[in-house]
Amino acid sequence: MNRDSVFYTIIFTFIVTFAFVLPLTLAEQGTSEMVAKNTENARRKAVLTAMDIPFTGDAEAASLFQGVTAREKDGEVLYTYDKGGKTVAAKEFFGMGLWGTINGILAVNGDVTSTVGLQIIGHNETPGLGGRIDDASFKNQFRGEALKDGKLKIRSGAEAGGGPVDPGDGVVDGITGATRTTQAMEVIVNREIGDIKKLLGASR
Amino acid sequence: MNSKQAKQILVDNLWFNNPIFIQILGICSTLAVTNLLSNTVIMTLGVTFATAFSSWTVSLLKNLIPRRVRMIVQVLIMSFYVIILDILLKAYLPEISKSLGPYVGLIITNCILMGRAEGFAQGNPPAAAFWDGLTSGLGYMWVLLTVAFFREFLGFGTLMGYPVAPKGFVPWTIMVMAPSAFFMVGTLLWISKNIMAAREKAKGGKA
Amino acid sequence: MTPNIAPLTLFFASIFTSNILLANFLGMCSFISISKDLKSANGLGLAVTVVLTLTNAVNWVVLRYVLIPLDLLYLRFIVFIIVIAAVVQMLEMIIDRVSPPLYMALGIFLPLITVNCAILGAALFMEIRKYDFVQSVVFGLGSGLGWWLAIISLAAIRKKVDKAPVPAGLKGPGITLITIGFMAMAFIGFSGMLPVQ
Repeated sequence: MNRDSVFYTIIFTFIVTFAFVLPLTLAEQGTSEMVAKNTENARRKAVLTAMDIPFTGDAEAASLFQGVTAREKDGEVLYTYDKGGKTVAAKEFFGMGLWGTINGILAVNGDVTSTVGLQIIGHNETPGLGGRIDDASFKNQFRGEALKDGKLKIRSGAEAGGGPVDPGDGVVDGITGATRTTQAMEVIVNREIGDIKKLLGASR
Repeated sequence: MNSKQAKQILVDNLWFNNPIFIQILGICSTLAVTNLLSNTVIMTLGVTFATAFSSWTVSLLKNLIPRRVRMIVQVLIMSFYVIILDILLKAYLPEISKSLGPYVGLIITNCILMGRAEGFAQGNPPAAAFWDGLTSGLGYMWVLLTVAFFREFLGFGTLMGYPVAPKGFVPWTIMVMAPSAFFMVGTLLWISKNIMAAREKAKGGKA
Repeated sequence: MTPNIAPLTLFFASIFTSNILLANFLGMCSFISISKDLKSANGLGLAVTVVLTLTNAVNWVVLRYVLIPLDLLYLRFIVFIIVIAAVVQMLEMIIDRVSPPLYMALGIFLPLITVNCAILGAALFMEIRKYDFVQSVVFGLGSGLGWWLAIISLAAIRKKVDKAPVPAGLKGPGITLITIGFMAMAFIGFSGMLPVQ
């Protein structure tokens, strides 16, 4: 058969497309359950870590997570946990970073006066620069940082790193050389604080 | 392909016809990925895998592909290998998949894959095409690892995430941002061209 | 979720402040190799602009009416790049007929437009940032023009640089890379001036 004829071209293209897309579809369907489990597991661990609840291993995380209440309202899920009498509230966020969506968990204390923790589940930021929002040194700043007027400021630009460390001043360090991502995080964090306040208020 | 040809292909792809500094292919990923050694390792392994297998497949099918859809079919083959790698990593090695994820698009469009498919696989037998793809990937890998070594060390003071710089070392943040990759690759090119020229002169002098 | 950016702002942003080549570093390979000659740089710039605009338009339609409703998002890489490959294949046939010298000058870089990361990158940005149709087309057109502007600037600089006493090992791609490094450093200053998402 003449391989340059229109008929052959069309048949060949169909067959080849089918031959290559079919295994992809099969692989995707076959692994989707596993991927969903991995994602659920990652989210559970992120919520627990943001809330500063220690655990070792996925099994313990799963059982500890049973103690977390998840309330849904208007498509937003609020996670609350009773830590020795004190409420900790957390919410998953999907925000706009420099390159793509930043997905994580922000946890605050019951009366929304300070943050309890920040965890990043996924992002597409520049590795080594914006990607450092996933570094322990950045995230640890959110353990017990007080909010000023219900807001948090993240230093960016020239003064991003190396500022005074004071958990009561409502200011944390951004990432040097990653101004855009730092600014995006500030917008995301403050928006989430507002959202959590609303959700907590609505459920009281 | 006999062992002499295999050796020639290896040497060419690693040095004389190196994809990065001689063919000038695969530059985008060089800039994006080389500020951290760990990401570079994952990326270059991905590219090597994808180039080897897609060149092999293109060569297997080269007599069947109609001229009019040549590029579409090649691109389909290349994307297939990259995506299947991404799907399998997401399921079985999610941590590594997190680092590779944003680069999947960059591997599919990595000019090295298309360059080798058009430039070698279309006119050579499958085994040779596989070897050419594999060695091109290795040529790409060693250049990127060298650039990444300097960029991570000077930009962060770490190697593979482990702090190795002496105390009091102030990191050169410019090394972490893209322009430094241009300077590094340019410098690497300069050094290798000088080495090549010196060898040519020495050979010329002997003869 | 579609960002509220006026198309005109997006147009200027994608040409100047978020130039897909000098700010996002996409589309480098042909940028470095073809910029040695102003005429072929012009030809390639035009080709890339046409491809970017057309493919962003088609890809948006496919994304909105096929991929999302049928839950086939995991196939988006393949679908986008096949659309790009088809458009480039058609363009290759047109250039071959209309201007054989340009066809010869571009050589392997014409099929390489297919894997020009800027084009797939623009399609992926459009998907991630959830642009609507007008924004997608404007973004494609602007990115293409920005890419064209960058390659012409580089070609013009290279004309001067090639006459300068550059050490033998650096001639050609070497000094070009260093020049681009400086251009990129300059453009970092513009980043974020106009919103793109």
